Amino acid sequence: MTDHSVAQVTKPGKFVPGQPDMWAFVLFETLVFTGYFGFYLFYRTQSPELFLRAQAQLDLRIGVFNTLVLLLSSWSVARCVQSARAGAYRQAHTDAVLTTLFGLVFMVSKVFEWFRQIRIGNGFASNDFFTYYYFLTGIHFIHLLIGFIALGVIFYQLRRPAPRSRGSQELVETCATYWHTVDFLWVLIFALLYVVR
Amino acid sequence: MNTLATRTASPLAWYARQNPKRELWLAWGTLVVFYIFFGVVFFVLTRTQPPPSPAWDSRKVVQWFQDNHSGILIGFAIMFVITGMTTMSNALIAYSMRRMSVSPAFGYTYLILYSLSAIPGMLLMCIALTVGALRPDRDPELITWTYDFAFLSFIGTMGVFLIGSLVWMLAILIDKNRVFPKWFGYLNLCNALTEIVVSPAWIFRRGVLAWNGQIAWWLNMVVFAIYTGVFIFLLRQLIQREDFGTGPLPNLAPKAAR
Repeated sequence: MTDHSVAQVTKPGKFVPGQPDMWAFVLFETLVFTGYFGFYLFYRTQSPELFLRAQAQLDLRIGVFNTLVLLLSSWSVARCVQSARAGAYRQAHTDAVLTTLFGLVFMVSKVFEWFRQIRIGNGFASNDFFTYYYFLTGIHFIHLLIGFIALGVIFYQLRRPAPRSRGSQELVETCATYWHTVDFLWVLIFALLYVVR
Repeated sequence: MNTLATRTASPLAWYARQNPKRELWLAWGTLVVFYIFFGVVFFVLTRTQPPPSPAWDSRKVVQWFQDNHSGILIGFAIMFVITGMTTMSNALIAYSMRRMSVSPAFGYTYLILYSLSAIPGMLLMCIALTVGALRPDRDPELITWTYDFAFLSFIGTMGVFLIGSLVWMLAILIDKNRVFPKWFGYLNLCNALTEIVVSPAWIFRRGVLAWNGQIAWWLNMVVFAIYTGVFIFLLRQLIQREDFGTGPLPNLAPKAAR
């Protein structure tokens, strides 16, 4: 059976928003990040004191702020999808702008946090904890940057003159799914780096 | 009728003379043979994969060259002979993009990128380690330098592969001819992201991000192996589905009809 025949079979009873293909990406990236987290937890058990000491130098308030901002961005992108489904494209556009703003706030606060850590002497190669800290937040940051491209696709689809095609709505949902993945991965990173002691 | 009789008498001869897809199958077969050789040479003969430690001192590095002397020479001699086979696989991937509804620029870009990629991605390592194996009388510090140069060029220079994966991804995602499923486009993105993860190998000599680390090598190798296996399979399907037209690629015909 080819992929196209699979698509034909799944079309009538669609069970995920957006392209099912994007969900395959979500699953695969989740598995890769599970690997990263597994190695982090393993190394943590090897030198728990070092990790606790280094972890104490992170500002939990910034982590909480980052998490809240990204959760809000997920909320606004979900609203964007709902509005687009209902045909309220002006509202959907406003929600997409909000999502972009939340994403930018996260980005700026993350760069600020990196500079702050570097200023107090915690660099990429300072110790195992900070290697993980910069690696996990850095690879997540790259996912966030790709997320802005996904938001660009949403803007493009919303700006197209009505009536919009079914594929257009699917693309909006696909890109929103990607954005949720960025948020979902951050929540796990936040829990591991800032909260788990 | 005559053709049918010839086919029945000697299917192999018919394929060689008449099958319109014979060049595509030749390219695909070359791709498979290359990866088999690649695996045997790097994992078995030269023992360069999984990579040895980047933290070794010069005494250990010299010892490693002595222990793997014959394997390095035989293995890399094979690689020098077969490196040209990569052009066939690159051409087949570029062909897949030419079959899409996208601009030919995608295929050309990919072809140029991957023509260059064999140099940092493989040949520099083969040359540097062969030099190290053939000049055992040199200063151990120099031998260690060739060792570092070899593994850092092999593992740390993923930029061309990164951009190549992104070019293929973009072509797949905007293609309307359904040459590849969209999930494979996203898998290209996963592969590109793991190419970024190896870059800290330049900094670290120990730990998960060193060139032999659990993240920089082991996890990436798993992703790369899945990615390679998937694209070999999908290229095979592409050839089976190819109708030499310009519109959407037809679905795979039932087995009996092929």
